[in-house]
Order: sequence, then C-alpha cells, then structure tokens
Amino acid sequence: MTENEPHMPDFVVIPESVDQLVLLIKFCNQNLIPIVPYSTGNNVGGLTIPDCGGIIVDFGKKMNRIINVDENMMYAVLEPGVTFGQLNKFLTKKYPHLRYSYPNAPPYAGVVGNALLSGMTNLGAKIGSMADSINGLEVITSDGDVTRIGSCFYGKGEAEADSWWSRYPMPDLLGLFINFQGMTGLVTKCSVQLWPKEPIEKAQLVLFFGLTDVAPFLREIGKADIINDIAAFSVEVAKMEIGIPEPKRYPGEPPYTAVMPMSAKTEKQMEAKLEILENIIDDLNKKGTNIHLINYNEFSKLFNLKARNIYDLPSQILSLHEYSGLTWFGAYAPSHKFEELIEKTDELYYKHDVPPYNYIKIMKGGHYGIFRPIFRFKKFTDQERIVKLLEEIVDVCIDLGCIPYKTPSWITAKMRKKINPGWLKLFEKIKNCMDPNNIFNPGRWNT
Amino acid sequence: MVEIDKSLFGNEFLEMAFDHCIKCSTCKYSYKEFEPCCPSGEKFLFESYWASGRIRTIIGLINGDLEWTEDVLNPIFACTTCGACMDSCNAPHADYIVDMIEALRELAVKHIGPAKNQQFLVSRCEESCNPYGEPNSDNQELKKIYNLSDKAEWVYFIGCTSNYRQQKIRDSTLKFLKKANIDFTLIDEHCCTSPMIRTGQLSIVKDYMNYNAKQIVNTEAKKIITSCAGCYRTLKKDLSRFIGEQEFEIYHIAELIKELLDKKKIKFKSEYNKTVTYHDPCHLGRHMGIYELPREIYKKIPGLNLVEMKRNRNFAWCCGAGGGVKIGFPEWSIEISHERLKEAKEINANVISSTCPFCKTNLNDANINFGFNFEILDLTEIIDQIEIEFLE
Repeated sequence: MTENEPHMPDFVVIPESVDQLVLLIKFCNQNLIPIVPYSTGNNVGGLTIPDCGGIIVDFGKKMNRIINVDENMMYAVLEPGVTFGQLNKFLTKKYPHLRYSYPNAPPYAGVVGNALLSGMTNLGAKIGSMADSINGLEVITSDGDVTRIGSCFYGKGEAEADSWWSRYPMPDLLGLFINFQGMTGLVTKCSVQLWPKEPIEKAQLVLFFGLTDVAPFLREIGKADIINDIAAFSVEVAKMEIGIPEPKRYPGEPPYTAVMPMSAKTEKQMEAKLEILENIIDDLNKKGTNIHLINYNEFSKLFNLKARNIYDLPSQILSLHEYSGLTWFGAYAPSHKFEELIEKTDELYYKHDVPPYNYIKIMKGGHYGIFRPIFRFKKFTDQERIVKLLEEIVDVCIDLGCIPYKTPSWITAKMRKKINPGWLKLFEKIKNCMDPNNIFNPGRWNT
Repeated sequence: MVEIDKSLFGNEFLEMAFDHCIKCSTCKYSYKEFEPCCPSGEKFLFESYWASGRIRTIIGLINGDLEWTEDVLNPIFACTTCGACMDSCNAPHADYIVDMIEALRELAVKHIGPAKNQQFLVSRCEESCNPYGEPNSDNQELKKIYNLSDKAEWVYFIGCTSNYRQQKIRDSTLKFLKKANIDFTLIDEHCCTSPMIRTGQLSIVKDYMNYNAKQIVNTEAKKIITSCAGCYRTLKKDLSRFIGEQEFEIYHIAELIKELLDKKKIKFKSEYNKTVTYHDPCHLGRHMGIYELPREIYKKIPGLNLVEMKRNRNFAWCCGAGGGVKIGFPEWSIEISHERLKEAKEINANVISSTCPFCKTNLNDANINFGFNFEILDLTEIIDQIEIEFLE
C-alpha cells in the first residue's frame, strides 16, 4: 500500500514459543540470515518489508496471547502478536474498569509493535506515546540469550506474573529496543500500562477559522490537563472522515478542525473541564483567533459510522480505506513551529494540487507535538505524484526540527544528513554491539 | 494501466483489485466484535488465505509478479466464499470481495484448472445434470405422488442437494406447500450452477440457466420457490447476470412461511419443546441479507427456545461447505463445521437448524465425525414435525 518497495522473504516462520525463537536466532546468527519481526504488517513505514530477504517472524498468528493483567498495578503482559481489537475485547469483557490507549489505526494493528515504535494513543495528551508507558520487556538478543528488562528482572527462572510493574529505577535498558525497529533483538513479551476507564466520556469538536488558529490552541489545551487526546486535522481530512469524496476546502470554511475525547469521574468534573476549555477558547479569541466549540457527540449523529469512528477507538479508519495506496510522514514536532509547519506544507499541497491532509496532536501535557501529513492515493496511477510531494514535505518538516517516527529507510537517509556525527557514531556502536552480524531487520536506519 | 482479460465474466471485479484495499486486515475479524471471521485465513494462517491477500494475489498474477503455478491453487480455491470478509470490511469494494474471488477463480481455471476434485462438479453435471453424479430425476415421479399439474402459479425448484442428498428437506417442503394449498409444480431441473459459479467453472452455466428458465416458462409460473439457500442466491442474484432479467420472482421457502404467518393463513398449533440455535447460511444471510426472517418463524413455534451462538447473523461462522470447499477440501470442510458445533454446545442447544441443505449436510457430517449429539434439522423439517392449522 505504501511507496516503499516490496520485497519477498525467503521464509516465513510462525513461532509458538520463546524456545523455538532462541533456536531460530542462534541458527540465523551462525548462518547470517536476516530476521524481520512482523505482527500484523500494518505499518505504513514498510518496517516489516524484508529488504534483504531472509526470514519473516510472524508473531501475529500464534504468539498472540494476553499473558496476564494485573488489576492493582494496572498493566498487561502481552506477546507481540496481540492486536488492539483483541486487547480491547479482552479488557471490556474481563476488566471493564480498565482500558488501554488506542491509536488511530486499524483494530488489527499490533499493540507491542506500536508501543516499541512510539506510536500514538487516544490518551496522548495525558500520557504521551505508547513507548512512554512500557513497563518491561522480554527480549532475545543475537546470541540467543533471553533477557528480562524492567521490574521483572529479578529471579533466575520465569518472571513472576506480578513483577512487570515498573520500568525504573535501574539503568533503562529498554532504550536498546525502543524505536530500534527490531534491529537489536526480538521482543517476545511486553508489559504495557493500563488506565482506569472513567465513567463519563464525551467528545468535543473545535473549528478554527484562521489557518494557524489551531496552533496556539494546541499549545494551550496541552497544558490544561483536561483532554485525553486531540486529533486536529485540516478540513479536507474532516470531510474525508465523514465520507465526502475528493474533499476540498471552500472559502469561509474553517481550514482546521479538532476532535477531543474527554473523560471524567463525575459529571461535575466533566463540567469543570468544559468550563476550562471554554475559557481557553475565549482567551484565545480575545487575542485574535476565531475558534468555535461544538458538542461532537451530538454533531456526529448527523453523519454515519465514519464520523463516530474518529474517536470511538479502536476502530477502522474508514476514510483511509478508499484507495489502494496510503502513506504518511509521521513526526514528533516542536509545537512552537506548528504555524510554520502548517503554512509551508499548505503551499506544497497546493503546488502539487493535492488537498492538505494534515493531522496534528499535542502530547503529554503539551511537552511536544505530532505533525503528520497523510496521503491516500490510487497506488497504480497516483503514486509518483504523491511521493514527489511527500519528499518535499519531508524536507520542509525535517528542516523545521521534526523527528519522524516509524521511519522508512528513505527518510532516515535524509535524517542522517542532519544528525550530529556523535549521535550516529554511538548509534552504530550500539547496533554493532547488539547485532554484530546485522541479522536483525537489516536495512533499517540504513544499517 | 494493467490489461484485464475482457473475455472474463467478472473482469470488472479484477480491475477493482487495483484501486482498493490497503491490507488493513479489517476483513479478518468481525467488525467491532474482534472475532475471527474467515475460516480460510484462520486455518492456513498466511496472508494469501485472507481476502486482502487474495486481492493482492489478483494484482500479482495480472501484473506478472506471481506465476501461474500450483503454489497459487490453494490460496485461490481454499475459501468457502462465505462473505464474512465482506461484512467485516467497510471499504467501498467490500460488497464485491466474493465477486473478486470468483473472478480470480475463473481466471485460475483458465490457467491452472480448479482445485482437486472440483472438476467433477462439471463432469458429473455433463453426465447427469447434477454435481452429485446421480441419475437425473426429472421429478415426474414426485409430480405424480403429489398430484401436481404441468402448469401452476409457482415452481418449487428443489435443487440438487435436496433432491439427491437431503430428501427430507425436499419432502418436508413438498408436504408444506401441498398442505398450504399453494398452486405449484416441479420441473425437470438442471443444477442451478451455484457450485460452478463459486468455483470459477463457467462453461455450462449459461446453458443450464437457459434450460431451467425455459422449463419454468413452460409451466407459466411467475414465482419460483426453493428450500436451498445456494439455489436462492444463484437464481435471485446470478441468473440475471448470466442470462438477463427473467419474468419470475424468486422466493426462499422461509419467505413464504413468514408471509403465510403474517397473513394469518397458517398457525403453529403443537409444541416443539427443544432448545434450537439457528445457523445462518452464508447464501441466505451475508449474500442475500436475510437474517431476522427465519428467526421470526422459529420464535412463533410454541415451546421452541431459540438461542443464539456467539457468532450470529452477519458474523456467523460459515458451515464450511460452500465455495467448492466440501468437494475440494473435505477434511478441512468439516473442521470448519466443528467450530460451529462447539459454539452450539457452549449455549446448550439440542437442535442446530438452518435453511440450507448444504449447511445441513456439512453440520451433520461434523456432528457424526466429531461425536456430537445434536439434531441437525432444516427449518422445514421442524415445521413438518409440528401440527399446523391452515386457514383460508
């Protein structure tokens, strides 16, 4: 579906156990056979494409067990093949008072892969990315050793079921595996934090009538600690989400909109949050913005399933299904550069006669932002044109300090030109140390 | 742009593969329920056995990225075409996924032939006009037994499975129609051609459809009734695609029973004190959208306790017989039914009932093979067991 070139693996392995994987890794390390981890293959960056052939290790089919849920310390220990839909269903049935944080991805995307790659969540404004809420991992390194990282590190045998509760305060070895795109070892278990499911849930819609009005709003709402998440998108994306074909922006329409899921323990708490939200909008409008607030739960009744799916996660992203091609540039972004990012990418979209499909978030109490242009296209007719635009957008965004996540290697090649040599040298040293024969997902980050 | 063989019947569906599907995997699980829904993918576990993989296979084969070898035979034919993927997927091409698979099969038959044993569906028909290879019944004997004239308002299209394998369904239907005073007759049937269309073997389809249509026209009937979900789907949905619109309407027996109940022309009198679960046949449910109508009939039977399996209605797990799987992959076919029987056991049903003789056959085979003790009965067979008051 993406612009990334497909490649065939030589073999697909569907493992059932860690013991099998230990043997496989030892064999591959001795015989210099690449290993590419795969859970469901939904990644838009093409990170599970076996660029150098070898073996795809498909965790999704048999290593997809929810091993344990600890209600008290609110975490779940998962195998890599567990999907968001599966976890949601399990929690709804067995632990309805707990929830996980879900991305704006198909329900059949893998939880562990998304967590390891710092994917988004619909609690992002509170907790940041999914990687921020990993408690611990079990990994197999290139020599076939099985290692437990996090509070589960005590003991010689299997980890105690109730020992996966914290990432700190020991040296943070999780960093050797997070965002490494499977280049340093195979993760076989992952403990992810769960959250209390609050009884009152509402969603609000915000319309921004100035092109960059969304930027100061994102910064202020991030600091306010009243929303679970915010998905701010250009009006073209909003129209796409409710099923309008070939959406365009017309004069007088708000160029940006945002949907914000909110939750509270009581109605009074929700009322207080809404009051804070209204105050933020009033204050910004006094300073010259033109922002309007709408009750999204009521608004979405005017539309169909597609509109509800925007915030009712995990869900299908119906509007992205319409063609055969999908790609994006997903980046962590400095929120003080939102205005520039919006204006400069807008120019590029119009230059290429493509509607602006931007998607913006504020994360973790306002500490950083997400800027994510998304492109759906007809793969067999439009790809060349879209890739050209994407390349220009990537250059602009990297120049403004954006840091892509789940990054395909053609974008890491661009990043390498900007990254300081010290970082690159350390990165290479770690990679060589962890995987001297370069068997783990070779080609990622241009290794 | 790619060149699609325009001589293929479903070539427009092959074209569709190129502009749709981002392989999001939504087709693999029931929407919002997150239950596995595809018997083929769940069995074989490789991407090429799910709908998204089959769409990718179309692209690969037409583009030349894949070769026509025996390696692609099973991914193409090991599918019951149950359509669960269509109800799970919400993309614009969702309703056409089975059409895409059938078009792919037509293409495959041209290049590498059908799956093992599926060729017998055609060769047996060529010998005796039915895919079971049984001596053709022209139904004249039945017409005599039931005292049916040559001309009538309705034709009961029995279908091959009811006529040659599940005669109790045929006989229950005949008795019901007779008792309900329906003016009907029978024709010398050729196979409706559902098994051939589902397996991409279209060589005899038009001839057989034209033959059946001519027989129907000869009776002067304007309404066709069938007790087979497969025949119903084929007559109602496929017939016009192949030979154009016909001047008769198609009914499933459940539709007639419901109509008679609604018009208060029949009333169930005696009790049927059993716990029954309804298995939605794919060809009546997902393919034709009929889910509630049979359930309403069961609910009107005094004493009958209708219970639902975990996966029901548009997310019902397939019985495993359709799409040529029963003949092409017989062991796997009853494994699929085994899954269904386990669901029925979870809810303590005594009777698994359906509205399709093919479903009955496969559920029954699994019932015996895996040592369950369910009664597997068609709706018409249950109705045959109870006293019915027929009113004017």
